[in-house]
Amino acid sequence: MTQRAMIIDDSRAMRSILRRIIGGLDFETAEAGHGQEALDQMEAGFEPDLCLIDWNMPVMDGYTFITEVRKRPEWRNVTLMMVTTESEQGQIVKALAAGAHEYVIKPFTPDAIVEKLELLGLSGKGIPA
Amino acid sequence: MTLAPELTDVHAIVEQVWSSFLGDEEPLLPAYDADTAFPAENAWSSAVSIHGGWTGTVTIELSKNLAFSLTRLMMAMDESEPLDDAEVADAVGELVNMVGGNIKSLMPGPSALTLPVVAAGRAAHSSDLREVSRFDARWSGEPVRVSVHSPS
Repeated sequence: MTQRAMIIDDSRAMRSILRRIIGGLDFETAEAGHGQEALDQMEAGFEPDLCLIDWNMPVMDGYTFITEVRKRPEWRNVTLMMVTTESEQGQIVKALAAGAHEYVIKPFTPDAIVEKLELLGLSGKGIPA
Repeated sequence: MTLAPELTDVHAIVEQVWSSFLGDEEPLLPAYDADTAFPAENAWSSAVSIHGGWTGTVTIELSKNLAFSLTRLMMAMDESEPLDDAEVADAVGELVNMVGGNIKSLMPGPSALTLPVVAAGRAAHSSDLREVSRFDARWSGEPVRVSVHSPS
């Protein structure tokens, strides 16, 4: 079964880059420009296996999105990966403590994203990488 | 004395951003004739501010040709596809977001990074800021300038 990924970033260009990487792994993708838009899509029925989340966004930032997702038992299996320029150690610890599984600092290479997904056992096809 | 990021660090960050998202085929070449004023005509600019343990503004200025070229590359669009200003602003804003975020990590924290502000035209800075670091380069023959300003 194809796995689903939600790409949450206020930059269309960055969403496009991530979509090409994730889409190349055969994930079915959806996109949101901020955390609230992503929550709205999830509440409307899109059930992601993976969320790639920017930190600094208008309306709802990535950290708040993570805390909101982690309040909901029905979304406990969603893998959350921060993909952000925020690289201060305190921010990384804060995101991981809130429930993020992985943390990727921009700029990144496609290989860096793929390697992180492999570590998480996600391949896009529902088969452990 | 104003605390400022090292020019070599700024250079390294910009190169990393460029090669990660625009590829290695066309190198970003430092421009050593950079004392000349950045060409104001057809320039685009973007800026993010950092507030907290260190305060400053990181700005990228680039030619319109370069802004459009890098937008097409980042969005995987070919030359025949129309490109609007919002798409260019988005791509140029994301570049300064990445450069600014990484410069923030070099400076005393904790600090917060603002969302990018993008303009068709050169960047303007308030009178209490002075330039503390500048990296000039050319990419595909087009000029790009990354500067860091901090309160004097």
